[in-house]
Order: sequence, then C-alpha cells, then structure tokens
Amino acid sequence: MKIDAYFKDNLDKVVVFCCGYGINLLIFLAFKVDRAVILSSSFISVVSFLLILFIPFFRKKVFYDSLLSNIERLDKAYLVLETINKPEFYEGKLLYQAMYEINKSMNENVKTIEEAFKDFKEYIEMWIHEVKIPLSTLVLISNNHKEQFDKRTKLQLKRLEDYLDQVLYYARCENAEKDYLIKETNLAKVIKNIGLKNMDDLLEKKIDYIVGDVSLEVLTDSKWLEFILGQIINNSIKYKRDGKNSYIKIEAKEEKDKIILSIEDNGIGIKEGDLKYVFDKSFTGSNGRIVGKSTGMGLYIAKNMCNKLGHKIDIMSKEDKYTKVVITFAKNNYYDVLK
Amino acid sequence: MAKIMVIEDDEIIEEELKNLLENSFYEVVVLKDYKKALEEILQIRPDLILLDINIPFINGKTLLQELRRKSNIPVIMVTSINSETDEALSISYGADDYITKPYNPNILLLRIGAVLKRTHYKENRTILTYKDLEFDMAKGIIKLGSKEIILTKNEMLIFSYLLNHQNKIVTRDELMTILWDNALYINENALTVNISRLRNKLKEIGYDKAIDTRKGIGYILL
Repeated sequence: MKIDAYFKDNLDKVVVFCCGYGINLLIFLAFKVDRAVILSSSFISVVSFLLILFIPFFRKKVFYDSLLSNIERLDKAYLVLETINKPEFYEGKLLYQAMYEINKSMNENVKTIEEAFKDFKEYIEMWIHEVKIPLSTLVLISNNHKEQFDKRTKLQLKRLEDYLDQVLYYARCENAEKDYLIKETNLAKVIKNIGLKNMDDLLEKKIDYIVGDVSLEVLTDSKWLEFILGQIINNSIKYKRDGKNSYIKIEAKEEKDKIILSIEDNGIGIKEGDLKYVFDKSFTGSNGRIVGKSTGMGLYIAKNMCNKLGHKIDIMSKEDKYTKVVITFAKNNYYDVLK
Repeated sequence: MAKIMVIEDDEIIEEELKNLLENSFYEVVVLKDYKKALEEILQIRPDLILLDINIPFINGKTLLQELRRKSNIPVIMVTSINSETDEALSISYGADDYITKPYNPNILLLRIGAVLKRTHYKENRTILTYKDLEFDMAKGIIKLGSKEIILTKNEMLIFSYLLNHQNKIVTRDELMTILWDNALYINENALTVNISRLRNKLKEIGYDKAIDTRKGIGYILL
C-alpha cells in the first residue's frame, strides 16, 4: 500500500475538512476570537484530522501488504487465504469473507471438472483396453492365416496399436494423478522390447538397429519409457532418408550422477528453425508436411512424460544429416543406500 | 509335449490361440467352467497356464493368488492393460511372466518356451542331437566324433531353433524374432549370410543340403 495513492484516494475528506475548517476560521475572525485560541484550536483540529486520516492507513497496510506479497510469492495464488491473518478492520473482514466464498465456489467448480476429467480418462483407458481385444484377435488371425494376410496387414495393425497407445499415454500423462511406478529398470530390456516391436518396420525399411552396450539400470517406469523411446524410434523410421545405410544407433553411458541414453539416426533431420518447437503440442513443422501422417503429438507426450518421471529430454539435429535425442536419468543415491 | 491351459474370456482369441499353440506342437486345453476354475486347473495339472486378467466371475489376479497357495504351475499373465503397477502386482502374486495384448505371436511362443525351460529343468537339455551330430548349446559346438565345428552366437541360435522345429518350415520372421530377442539386431542380408555360413559349416561335417530353402516361406531342417 502506497501512502501517496492512499492520500489521493482520500482527497475528498481533505477537501471537506479544509472547507469546514475554513468556514470555522471565518466565524472565529467574525467574532474576533483571540489569536491564541485560534492557533491552539487549529493545531488540535489539524492533528486530529491527520490522525483520523492516517491511522486506518497503517492498520490496512499490514493486511494488504502481506496479502499482495504472499500472492506474488505463491505459485498457487489461490491458496493465499491460508497464509494471511484474518484482518481486524471491517472492510478487511468483508473482503476476507468474500474471498473465502469465491475460493470455495471455485474449488467446487474445479473439483467437478477434475472429476469429469477423471471419468473421461478412465473411460478412455477402458475403451482402449476394449479395443485392444479385437486388435489382438486380428493380430492372431493374420498370423495364423498367413496365406490370406500378408505383411502389410501386420504393419497396419501395428500402426493401429501405436495410435491407440498414443491416446492412452496422452490420457495418462495429462492427468494430475500419479499413474506410473518408478523402479529399477534395465535399459537393455526396454531397448530390446522396442526393437522387437518395430522389427518388421525396421527390416522392411532397411534401417539398421545398432545397439551399443546399454546394460545399465535406471530408475523409471519401464512401460512409460518404452512408449517414450517408441515415439523417438517411430520418428526415426518415419523420417528416414532415401538411399542406403540408414541406421538408428542407441548408446548409453554412465556418469557420476547420471545415466545418458542417446538415440541417433541419419534421417532427414530437423530444420534449425523448427528444432525448438518439436516438443510443442501439435507442432508438425516442415518435416511433418513433407511426410504427412504427422500428428505432432508424439514428442509432446514424450516430453510431458519425461517431465513427470524426472528425466531430461533434449534433441539436436542437422538437416539432411542426423537427429539425436538424448535422455538423461538422474541417479538416486538414497536408493543405493537403501539397497 | 507340454500341456498348456488357456484361460481366456474372448472366444475367438481362445480359438486362434489354440491354433497357434497347436501349430507349435503344444497340447492345448481350455478352461470350461470359470466358477470352478481352481478345481479344474488342479485336476488337469497343465505344464503352463496362459491367464487373462479380465475373466468372468473371478479376477485373473485373484485366481493366480488362490492357485499359488496350492500349486506352482507356471503362469503367464496376459492382459490388455499395459501398466507397470499391474505387472509388478502380478509378478508379486507369483506370475512367471506378464505379456500385454496385442502380443506378437512369435514373441508369445518364445516367452512360453522360456518359462517352460526355466521351470521344467528336466527338459532343459543343453546337448541336442541331429542325426549323428551332437550339438552342445552351452559351448556352441557341433561334434561328429572327434571333429568339432564352432558356431557363432547367431548361427547357434538359428541352428537350435531349426533343430527344435525339425522337419517343419521355419519362417525368416521367426528366426529374426529369436535373434532380436537375444539382442542380436541383424538385418535381412546378415540373416541370409548367417544361414549360408551355417550351411557351409554343416557341409564341412558331411551334411550338405541339411537346410533347405522354401522360397518365399522360409527354411526347413531335414
């Protein structure tokens, strides 16, 4: 609370006092009151007026200052009522009560929306599990009757599964609930699973899957990590460069306090100008336009999931040369102690 | 021949799964009465159970828990719910493996093979024979009397798979799956090269034309 602004706000009182006291002075003069009486009366009146004007300022200042500064300091400003003392003055009490009511109704509103969102997410999850049953049937049928279904069917079924998983993980990671389980996971196993999952695509497109020594333990949710790496590998497959010797190279190295996993391809790369937007929602960039079939969601979801799991994800690329995605896992010393 | 019990709610999946397993020389039984699941399992005593989590009357995980109090028949949980929590829970209840739908049929067969191998050690032979050849899987050596041929890891996996499926056509896809499942991520050319090297090694030891190519389908060990 600023004193000059407060003074301006109370200018009407000053004007009323000045006018009233001016008339009072004229009356004193008309009745030829003694000068000493006028002076002492004026002194008492002015001092009293100033006290009346500024005492409320200091009372209010304590309340408003702490309110404003706490709002600024909190990252969830709506929790501010919990952090301040209930004011003693009447207007403050009214304000406090109003804010309390607003907060309450807002919370109820947010809760309704959260519940609706949770229901929606649960429905999506359930729906995906339902859809996966006929999908599994199709996979089995196409495998058991190879004479009727060729490899193209298999690849299309895999695409269908990939899209379903994308929705599933989008629903999971947009949710405030904790929907993952972090435990010690061997990178080699996750990388093998993704390799097997994408084997047909990789062989069909003649992309070599080169895996270095990745037998390292990291703390993560293996299913989530599988999905994240799946998005990256999918991109490498989708944005491969025509010609020979395409590859995806996966390497991992251990440092003092972290483990770094890198996935590098020699695909069409990403334009420098596009690079900083690739993790943005729905961003497809010029590559998306070249290849088509791009939703711009894969890397956005991957980044979101990394944030939740506490991994760092970075991307570097040179157009027509390479794209390299690096995921950094922090090592947890506390966990080692427990072991 | 190992007996596998399929506990699966969806009839068409059950049917196709049965097809798949029977084509891979397993005996398949399906659970008939979900209300008396446990009794039926204990009566049939299968070598392995493929158990879906979403089954009528009783949850797959509950059934697993009840089964574990009475028997250690290997169980592979099959589910369309792809979640780490679910997997960790199933494993803690005593599942031997956990596979999510839709599964790659080749991988499902590999997992079944691996679980059976782990739990039935008596069948876990490391020395196989092919005609008068002795094949030591642990060392990766084919022996004929005092003559020894050393196989690379790729060749060894290919040969043992062919040998386990002798007189049956093995697709390139199956061979690729088993190689990739062992973290040997080779490409189509390398597989062709590995097969021809394996052929040459068998030729050296007197088995020319042991591996026949069936064009467009795969290979067969005669």
